[in-house]
Amino acid sequence: MQVEPWLLVTIILGFAMAWAIGANDAANSMSTAVGANAITPKQAVIIAGVLEFTGAYFFGKSVTETIRKGILDPTMITDPMVLVYGSVAALLAATVWLIIATKFGLPVSTTHSIIGGIAGYGIVYAGTAIVNWGKMTQVVLSWILSPIVGAIMAYFIFKALTKSIFERKDPVRSARIWSPFWIGLAFVVIGTMFYIKVLHGKDLKTGVFMYGVPLGIIVFVITYLLIKLRFPSSDPFIGVEAIFKKAQVVTSGYVALAHGANDVANAIGPVAAVYAVATMGLSGMKVPVPKWILALGGLGIAIGVATYGYRVMETVGKKITELTNTRGFTIDFSAATVVLVASWMGLPISTTHTVVGAVIGIGLARGVKAINKNIVRDIIISWFVTVPVAGLISAAIFKFLMFVG
Amino acid sequence: MQVWTKLFAKSPFKPLIKHSEVVLNTVETLEKALQHWYDGDYEEMKKIAVEVDRLEDVADRIKEEIRDSLSSKLMMAVAREDVLIYLHMQDKVADAAEDTAKWLLIKEPGELPVEVKEVILQMGMESIKAAKLVHEAIVQMDRVIESGFTEGEIKREYEIIRQIESVENKIDGLDTKLMQLVFENADKLSWGDGFYILNIARTLSNISDKAKDAAERIRLMMNK
Repeated sequence: MQVEPWLLVTIILGFAMAWAIGANDAANSMSTAVGANAITPKQAVIIAGVLEFTGAYFFGKSVTETIRKGILDPTMITDPMVLVYGSVAALLAATVWLIIATKFGLPVSTTHSIIGGIAGYGIVYAGTAIVNWGKMTQVVLSWILSPIVGAIMAYFIFKALTKSIFERKDPVRSARIWSPFWIGLAFVVIGTMFYIKVLHGKDLKTGVFMYGVPLGIIVFVITYLLIKLRFPSSDPFIGVEAIFKKAQVVTSGYVALAHGANDVANAIGPVAAVYAVATMGLSGMKVPVPKWILALGGLGIAIGVATYGYRVMETVGKKITELTNTRGFTIDFSAATVVLVASWMGLPISTTHTVVGAVIGIGLARGVKAINKNIVRDIIISWFVTVPVAGLISAAIFKFLMFVG
Repeated sequence: MQVWTKLFAKSPFKPLIKHSEVVLNTVETLEKALQHWYDGDYEEMKKIAVEVDRLEDVADRIKEEIRDSLSSKLMMAVAREDVLIYLHMQDKVADAAEDTAKWLLIKEPGELPVEVKEVILQMGMESIKAAKLVHEAIVQMDRVIESGFTEGEIKREYEIIRQIESVENKIDGLDTKLMQLVFENADKLSWGDGFYILNIARTLSNISDKAKDAAERIRLMMNK
């Protein structure tokens, strides 16, 4: 049987998946900045679109796993067509689930969606033995761990930040000293993350000392000098918010870049699998990805941000009034730290889940005035159903394809 | 994705500040009416007293809106009950101003001893202070939450609460003084005049009483 038509189908589906990723996820990276009125929704769309594409195209992995995160045992898939049908089923299932979740406004993990889709077709094809349950357990653990660790981290960072600035005798003075420190520290994390997540580096030490610390020092000096030159107000609250406002634009931009570099794999992994079969007739675990497929993924994400993310960010920009710049910064900072530590420890942690956890953590520190409990419940439910639902949809599609094929 | 919009519910604090602005406005308008009343310009006073009534209505509407938006589905920085009771007290401040305006409208003042009129005018001016302080207190409460309940901000809030209590004390003193004056001047006043004056005094001192109750609620919000 010919693989080429299937390649075309997979490319279209990969593009759709990338679009859904852009719509569901990318808006989140910018929304704390938009919510805190650091940038307008329009600016956010442009920044996020450009950075997501840059991340995906220039820093997306040029070798990708065809079976995301090694959820299935590749030696058990001997027929390349299974990989083709499976990839189509997994992509379609993940895309459908993402669109449903987006429709209901639920932030689900795109990685979990694709993992669910892959596990779904794997089980239909070869039974439960094909699934690497150890990996699967890790994934499930990350649902639970990410928000909890995110919440704890945000709670403490927020407490430390307010203690060091607002609780001092002279808040204006302490703001001048401590704001650059906190922002600098955040950039140590961001620099290290850049090395690990964007450049896909492995050695944490290199990341910290070659990227993190130098960047942190540079940012500290810049912020310190900027504050020296002009501190926006004698009111420490307004002054501090104004400093963090600028920092937040950068942190959000970084999140978008890293997101593009990493999550593009969710859309193009299955495309790469089919591409490998089409060009080499092989079904392998890891295959090189041609640049144009990466570009396609990046473009899809950017279009997703622009078409659907735009509407969301606009609503967010107009409706969230209770999120200030220090809080937005705290959320970004804690999420980045948690994700960094988790990747260092080899735990698969979800950024989306961590961010939501961080928001709740700040709420618990009594920093956010009102959080909607019902939505928190809905979000948690949506996390638990992501893998099973994507799995079931994928299983059905796969069965159908095997039947007609 | 719209999670951000949904996750952060509208907090009641900005609307509470809005409500307190209207309350303050109501009390200030009442004070203007009292000034005309003192000057003996009954016609002008009537116009302004009617405005007090209108403003109180506005405050009521805002109060209803806040109540409707405060469902138990929210996780808030302070207890929902405290916010609701606080709102009730803050609204009572406007109610008391409206009650005073009603008493002013009931009859033409006629000839009242000037020292009686002076004490009433003074009570009106002190009431504005109380209403202003309540407004400051809720603005400061917002800031206490902004700062994540830091010591310094809480301290500043306590200071405002203390000031409200001292204003209330002062008005209480004026109230007693007025009661004494009414009885000292008993032979110059009709039974109706006395009743009229004492009710104006009672409703006026209610303004600061309710302001004090509101302040106490804020204290509770900070203690939890």
